[in-house]
Amino acid sequence: MEMELPGFSFIVFLLLSCFATSSQGAISFSSLQRTRILTTSPSQGQVLKAGEDKITVTWSYNTTYQQATDSSYKRIKVKLCYAPISQVDRVWRKILDSLEKDKTCQFKIVAKPYSLSNNCFTWTTERDIPTTTYIVRAYSYNSAGKEVAFGQSTDAHKTINLFEIRATSGCHTIIDIAAACLSAFSTVSLFGFFYLEKRKAKSIQQK
Amino acid sequence: MDDKGSPGSSLHGVRGKEQTFAFSVAFDPTIASDITTKFALPVDSEHKAKVFNIFSLENPHMRTFHLSWISFFTCFVSTFAAAPFVPIIRDDLNLTKSDIGNAGIASVSGSIFSRLVMGVACDMVGPRYACAFILMLTAPSVFCMYFVSSAGGYIVVRFMIGFSLATFVSCQYWMSTMFNGKIIGLVNGTAAGWGNMGGGATQLLMPLLFALIRRVGATPFVAWRIAFFIPGFLHVFMGLLVLALGQDLPDGNLGPLQKRGDIAKDKFSKVLWYAITNYRTWIFFLLYGMSLGVELTTDNVIAEYFFDRFNLKLHMAGIIAATFGLANIVARPFGGVMSDIAARRFGMRGRLWNLWILQTVGGVFCICLGRSNTLPLSILSMVLFSIGAQAACGATFGIIPFISRRSLGVISGLTGAGGNFGSGLTQLLFFTHSKFSKATGISLMGIMIIALTLPVMLVHFPQWGSMFLPPTKDMTKRNEEYYYCSEWNEEEKQKGMHQGSLNFAENSRSERGNRVMMSQIQL
Repeated sequence: MEMELPGFSFIVFLLLSCFATSSQGAISFSSLQRTRILTTSPSQGQVLKAGEDKITVTWSYNTTYQQATDSSYKRIKVKLCYAPISQVDRVWRKILDSLEKDKTCQFKIVAKPYSLSNNCFTWTTERDIPTTTYIVRAYSYNSAGKEVAFGQSTDAHKTINLFEIRATSGCHTIIDIAAACLSAFSTVSLFGFFYLEKRKAKSIQQK
Repeated sequence: MDDKGSPGSSLHGVRGKEQTFAFSVAFDPTIASDITTKFALPVDSEHKAKVFNIFSLENPHMRTFHLSWISFFTCFVSTFAAAPFVPIIRDDLNLTKSDIGNAGIASVSGSIFSRLVMGVACDMVGPRYACAFILMLTAPSVFCMYFVSSAGGYIVVRFMIGFSLATFVSCQYWMSTMFNGKIIGLVNGTAAGWGNMGGGATQLLMPLLFALIRRVGATPFVAWRIAFFIPGFLHVFMGLLVLALGQDLPDGNLGPLQKRGDIAKDKFSKVLWYAITNYRTWIFFLLYGMSLGVELTTDNVIAEYFFDRFNLKLHMAGIIAATFGLANIVARPFGGVMSDIAARRFGMRGRLWNLWILQTVGGVFCICLGRSNTLPLSILSMVLFSIGAQAACGATFGIIPFISRRSLGVISGLTGAGGNFGSGLTQLLFFTHSKFSKATGISLMGIMIIALTLPVMLVHFPQWGSMFLPPTKDMTKRNEEYYYCSEWNEEEKQKGMHQGSLNFAENSRSERGNRVMMSQIQL
């Protein structure tokens, strides 16, 4: 599925690239060009079970860019990222322009050497992925290990192709029963003790 | 027969087996010993122990001490057990910052109510039943954390577990029935301090349990739930021990003593009335919110603060957060000891000054904590803040037993409730909404501490004075008997119900301080 680079985002990238950070190494997201096209198997609104369901990611080069742009790409990393709704009122998942500090993409799907031909990977969601809404993003790295370009499975505003992953409850019947029994024991033994003491006091009084 | 002055004669009679205690009033001539009783420790006329021997388990005084503080410790562990897990729970249950803040508030709000009820319960049925009831009835809510699957459920369960913090009241009340007033600052401070330590111990214990359970094969989202079983077990175990081994008073349990007529059964409405009409109760309600309250708030937010601000790993943030709560092992007793030492020379006025100084210093270092930008400075500020706040808690309960004799339980309960109210309030104002960062919230909390500690200057006892005023010049009101017997009306005095207060008044004369007593002798 070809996705065209929206014109205004290109202007935004141009403007924001003026604020790109210095050679110290902190790359800003806004300085990256969106040269990857990413498609993923979950459709909009689909709910996946962590630890069981799979995601298939396919990525390719965006041919609206000239071929020469990708000569510096050495490696590509595909990551699972939070959708905006998962980041609301959650400072620990904050979106920041500096990629070093940005907390949007915290889970790695796959990391591979860069290759020109169309690429594809099927990933089984891990069991301890948080329960929330996600998108998929791929970053291209140069030989110095710095991000130089990206692609994502949704539009620039991250409003389409959002999917959910839900953690399995992991509750086992035996432990359920143990919890219930211990709670009952606590209450019963307390009142039992109380009742026995009252009875003892009464029998002493009667003597 | 020895000649006077012959070598060695001055040591005759000394057996070399006298026990020395670091803190004791056993040989204090101003407190008469009751030598007709069979207690292992020396006691006063109310059969309260005059010495505090930590390493003993003698019945009933020291055994009560150990049962009390361990019960209270257990409840602190379970109430704050979720705090070190917040980074994991927020992913498991998809919590927002508001959810986390509300859960923190819920964890301390439940006990505002339960501490009040506990105060009443101690006065009416005795601390032994009161303590055991709360321990064993909150155990099911600890086990319920295992079943939580949403933000709402999480908040409700933390609210219910929070009820257990009422054991604080039974702990302090129980110490006041078992130990003499001259060492009550130290005893209350040690018992409560070692109990409060649970808030720090839990930050170490729970991540450790989590790691062990994960090693057995559980996923993170299951392991944190199973970890809650340990505090649950402790609740049940301690509840049974308290019932089996504890007793309400040095002479026995409350029920049998009341039946024998040794202790008069009091009316709840009267006990409550004398508590709420005493203005000092409300000043301490406010003050304790700024010492214990901020301590509880910090227990809830500090691990997440270090995790997020300095990008530490979970277990590292837990260790640093733990040192805050663990400082209680010495900080709170220290506050109590300082209170007792100040009282020796300056009486109650010394206790009040001691409290104001310690609490204000705590506030200053709280401001420093919020403003520190580097990790070492942050940790140093946190440690000094913890010492100030916790010592202030100890100092507070060096004063509370003297506010009233009749309504000690209710006043202890109200003060304790004030602590939790302060915690809920500070969490609501500074840590729930996203208006400002956690660091700013901590600094603002420090300013609030300093401001709301000033009312301690208004606490005045006619027989002892206040921070800036001497005792009243009216000689009829200037004695302890007048103050403590004013809680009983003529009819009750006719029945002799005030006898306990008279005994207490006599034992509390030490609160005049040596300076005053020396000047009175010179007159």
